Amino acid sequence: MTTPLLNRIITVLSDILDLDPATITADSYLIRDLNAESIDLLEIAVTLNSEFKTDIDDDAIFLKNLRIYLNEAGESQDDKRAYLAEKYPFLDQARIRDMVADLEAGPVLKVRDLASYIQARVADHE
Amino acid sequence: MPDRLITNPIKTKNQRSVVITAMGFVSVMGSSASEVHESIVANRRYFTRPGSHPELAEAAVRYFDIKSFTGRCKEARYLNRGAAMATASALAAVQASGLDGKQLEHAGLFTASGPNMDISGEMPNIRNGIIDEQGLKALFLLVFLPNTATSLISRLTGIHGENMTLGSACAASLMAVGEAFRKIRDGYLDIAVAGGGDSRLSPGGLLSYKKAGALWHGHEDPDTAYAPFGPDLKGFIPGEGGAFFVLESLDHASQRNARILSEIKGYGATLDGHAMTAPSPSGFYAENAVRKALDEAGITPSDVDLVSAHGTGTELNDRMEAAMLCRVFHHNPAIVSFKSWTGHLASACGAAELALCLACSDHRLFPGVRNLTESIAPDLDILIEPRDIRPSHILLQNFGFGGQNCALVVKPWS
Repeated sequence: MTTPLLNRIITVLSDILDLDPATITADSYLIRDLNAESIDLLEIAVTLNSEFKTDIDDDAIFLKNLRIYLNEAGESQDDKRAYLAEKYPFLDQARIRDMVADLEAGPVLKVRDLASYIQARVADHE
Repeated sequence: MPDRLITNPIKTKNQRSVVITAMGFVSVMGSSASEVHESIVANRRYFTRPGSHPELAEAAVRYFDIKSFTGRCKEARYLNRGAAMATASALAAVQASGLDGKQLEHAGLFTASGPNMDISGEMPNIRNGIIDEQGLKALFLLVFLPNTATSLISRLTGIHGENMTLGSACAASLMAVGEAFRKIRDGYLDIAVAGGGDSRLSPGGLLSYKKAGALWHGHEDPDTAYAPFGPDLKGFIPGEGGAFFVLESLDHASQRNARILSEIKGYGATLDGHAMTAPSPSGFYAENAVRKALDEAGITPSDVDLVSAHGTGTELNDRMEAAMLCRVFHHNPAIVSFKSWTGHLASACGAAELALCLACSDHRLFPGVRNLTESIAPDLDILIEPRDIRPSHILLQNFGFGGQNCALVVKPWS
């Protein structure tokens, strides 16, 4: 996954997190790999807002309520996936499946999730 | 006003000796003792005309890059230029000290902080009182909060002990060192890191002091015209920079075989209670601060052989200060004013002047006050050219807006 949109997001992340952009990929975890903290997420949201001229819902783009939604969802893996798909319509099924399988290892948010969110927001405007 | 000042320094047998074991600084004259020495020998000049106010002069530090001190550091985005110079100086001092993380954990941190006056730089678009949010950071408030450098220095060095952020104008960084000194002397801390950093060279910073009537201005060449303690006292030339020190109890420093730069002997601070900006012309409480520092050091005025004057080049400061020095000292100690070289570093001036004093002591060469062809105080031995001095006791003094007075006595280690 390398698109102009992704590259713009990587530029924003490298600038705010003071990281070499070459070390950031679509599959980098924001919190696990890039050590983003809560104030960094605030800065990322306002900068993406201005970069892409679109309102950013912090809770959605950073999957802040993911664990709450998982608690609300049914017990089965299918129920969980279906519930998350409803809450995060910008994520595709394969990504949701990976996320649910990856929960034990820590925060699942990846750079590609930001790109998916922005992609959907920009598409909404068009 | 009382007839005479009363000083009763509290003396107990438990008071400990306090020494400076490392320093780090950022200044136009350089960032090491040898660079400062070279600057004096080469008689380098640093004043330029600011683009936003060509009638003024400033002394800007060229090629300063906070990242060369911190490495990659995302939090640096929240540092205004003065806070960045504070952070850089503190990191340099801590690194030079050789203290490890376990020792630093219990250290104290005393940081002087000036207001961020870079209004147009931080908020380029304000119309009819409405601030355009475009380009503002989510936490842009951090570039205005006084303790942002304190917070980042703690995070980068692992200092977790007692701390204080001082906003006492141009006395603040010498007071930071003085307060840290007392915390160690009285046993609250074994190690403290103290100093400050400041820059008011932005258009907003220059405008604020220009409107207050405090800045040197004119068509003459500032490098040949600006002379603290001279007859034409038109105001100060603003500068920028930072300086921090690592202070330790003598016992602590000795146990780890640390190199000792200086002992801190005494500190005094007072308030004029006179005016919002101008010092009290009587200099009564300024003198009181000086005498407190001398008393606390257990010395008399005649033991001081070098005074680092506040010497801003303003009529109000220099006349008050010269008269006060004449009252206190009758044996003609040498007097220096670094502001004729560096400009006025605002809240960082005291720490910077202490760093420059220690650098000059190291190389036994102190600079003269520039362009001082005629002194307002001919009885004072104000250096007009570099002089070989090996001071036994140095008195530093700073007098800030709002009547903030402070003085510190240090004894270079031999």
